[in-house]
Amino acid sequence: MKKVGQLIVIGAVASLALATVLVGAIHAQSTPLSDAQLTRIRSSCVSVENTLAQLHASDALLRVNRGQIYESMSTKLMVRFNDRADSNHYDISDLLSVTQNYGAALTTFRADYVTYEQQLATAIATNCTKQPQAFYDAISLARTLRSQVHADVTRLNEYISDYDNVFNVFVDTEVTGK
Amino acid sequence: MEEEALKTEPEMDTETSFWGTHRFMLLITMTVVIASILVVISMTLYSTSGAAQLDLSRPGYRGVASQAASNDNNFGEYANSGPINSDSVNQFKTLYEKQAAAAQAVDAYAGDPLNPDSLGISDPTNN
Repeated sequence: MKKVGQLIVIGAVASLALATVLVGAIHAQSTPLSDAQLTRIRSSCVSVENTLAQLHASDALLRVNRGQIYESMSTKLMVRFNDRADSNHYDISDLLSVTQNYGAALTTFRADYVTYEQQLATAIATNCTKQPQAFYDAISLARTLRSQVHADVTRLNEYISDYDNVFNVFVDTEVTGK
Repeated sequence: MEEEALKTEPEMDTETSFWGTHRFMLLITMTVVIASILVVISMTLYSTSGAAQLDLSRPGYRGVASQAASNDNNFGEYANSGPINSDSVNQFKTLYEKQAAAAQAVDAYAGDPLNPDSLGISDPTNN
């Protein structure tokens, strides 16, 4: 119990230190905004907050619906066909390779979406009237993270096409040609 | 030795009576502390595991919750056992191509809605 307690304390301290370093790095990277831009952020504060809230909700819906399809592509189709072909003693190494890559890409997508969603929530929680600079920086970081999520989705779509191609080759060489 | 024993006896009585008096408070305090620790652990797991991101019952998401797909029965039930022949291959191919088209139909998270220009928070002196 004592060791567990020590581990929790060490973990908490390490997380705090990492968060401090990250926040420091983000602040160090942010460029100071001009007075005109700060004024503009303050004046359009309410409308931007509403836009962010709508985006937050629509992206969450997209995550649920698309995520469900991406999960099922793997668990209900790829894995099942691989198991079936394997139980019939076919060489499924190529199919397995694409499935594993797809699974890894799906894991990355899940993790990147969590990071993006948390950052967008941070931006929404930031007081744009009192802290326009921090608000702008939070949005900028969320923008970068969202583009990463889009890159993950593109990669998943590529693996879906790859599996289709490998499946066609498998059928031509292993099933039809056998 | 006897004198020492006599001296410490009243102190022990006081200690016993203190815990005897406050043991119910101690029980409640410990219960609250343990419950709080469990709540913190479960909330941490909820927010870091990705479960929170899928929970559309949270405030702010209720407007879109009704649009969430309730199931994915469109995928059918492709059996993971059985022979591999032209029928099973064609069945899989039909299912896969249909779902692949559905998955790739939407370019999710494309666009740039967080662009400062789109949000109207870019530097007015650069416009």
